[in-house]
Amino acid sequence: MRRYLTSLCLLILLFVGGMAVAAPQHDSASGQNDQKSSPSNNHTQPLTGEQVFQQNCARCHQPPMSISPRTTGTIIMHMRVRARLSRQDEQLLLKYLAP
Amino acid sequence: MGLCLSVVGPMCAQDASDSENSAGHVPVVAGGMGYIHNVNGGVTTLGPQINPVLLVPFGSHVLLESRTDFIGFFQREDQTSGPFTGKVFKSVDYAQLDWLANTHVMATVGKYLLPFGMYNERLSPIWITNFQDGPINAAIGTRTSGAGDGIMLRGVAVQTPSYTAQYSAYFSALSTINQLQAARTAGGDASIYFTHPRLEIGTSYQRFLQNRNINSVATYVAWQPNTVPVDLKAEYDYSYNGNGYWLETAYRFEKLQIPSFFRRIQVVGRMQQFFPLNGGGNSLPTVNTQRFDFALNYYFRDNFRVISSYGRTFSSQRDANVWNVGLTYRFVWPLWPERKK
Repeated sequence: MRRYLTSLCLLILLFVGGMAVAAPQHDSASGQNDQKSSPSNNHTQPLTGEQVFQQNCARCHQPPMSISPRTTGTIIMHMRVRARLSRQDEQLLLKYLAP
Repeated sequence: MGLCLSVVGPMCAQDASDSENSAGHVPVVAGGMGYIHNVNGGVTTLGPQINPVLLVPFGSHVLLESRTDFIGFFQREDQTSGPFTGKVFKSVDYAQLDWLANTHVMATVGKYLLPFGMYNERLSPIWITNFQDGPINAAIGTRTSGAGDGIMLRGVAVQTPSYTAQYSAYFSALSTINQLQAARTAGGDASIYFTHPRLEIGTSYQRFLQNRNINSVATYVAWQPNTVPVDLKAEYDYSYNGNGYWLETAYRFEKLQIPSFFRRIQVVGRMQQFFPLNGGGNSLPTVNTQRFDFALNYYFRDNFRVISSYGRTFSSQRDANVWNVGLTYRFVWPLWPERKK
């Protein structure tokens, strides 16, 4: 029974992974799909604020859709400590979230 | 509290030194709240909770932050029958003062969450975690309270367009003061994040400096591919009391060509095994334990979701089904009006 369920669990994980790789992609305004054609995919170019936002927030949680500019500075300070962000990343995020 | 805010408010309601953005630096209460209905081996537990995080900035380089948990724990009188009884537990998770000196050094003093592995510091909040039951081996490297009292340095060691190397190092003193309990420990964490493949690899170390000196280590990896909304995370932990791993895969339907209602669904699978050493204990199982979980979460908004999960635990002591259903919500509330420009 245990071996069966372990195998089942692995199959589910493989299925989810396989589905993710095989799934047709939906055009989105989020910009994530545009990364292939983005000049930033050139590994020598610095990241934009949006890319820093998408990458660093998504490492742990669902990125917020919006943050009130009034609280943005404080939240980014908190996240800079928690996520160990650089000063450069902080400035890019501030410009992106509260231009 | 009011007096404190009235004194620090004008000082706090400043924007960053950089005038290239309109970001405000006002005191904020953020955090998560939710309700979890848990059934573990036939025993039902009702778990409402709220975890407010108070953030008070002093300019753009100093931040006071604290998180308090109010967690309800209600079960039937004799576990399977009778009226529900219980209480609300209150605990201060952390209360720390941060100095954001520069990219390479951020200093923290006070009570802080121990940076060991991925779960304790990053994934444990109710609104973040995909499963409301933490990993079996989450107790490794976080004795005794999950927090340390002392000093921590953290920051970015090296950053290039291709990768970022990050570190944390801390020393905690023994404390038995109410709400400030901590063990005497020292340790650190180092990770490297490869920007373009969005791959993170890290390791943590802790030396427990009480009674028996114990080394604990963790190795973890996280990967969010660019092309698909998949989140893969895995961690292996080793300590005197045992070793084990967890492996988690989450997939969101947001990119699929399906009706928008279904694009808000997230499915998650997790598998974990734990093998005790030297009798296990210290919040770890005393026998070999395996567990798998499957979750189906629905995001109404990025900060509000319905969660559900099923798991089964296997051990020589007992096999048990674990069900969770609930709601989680993330909030951000400013406490002070922004200074008018």
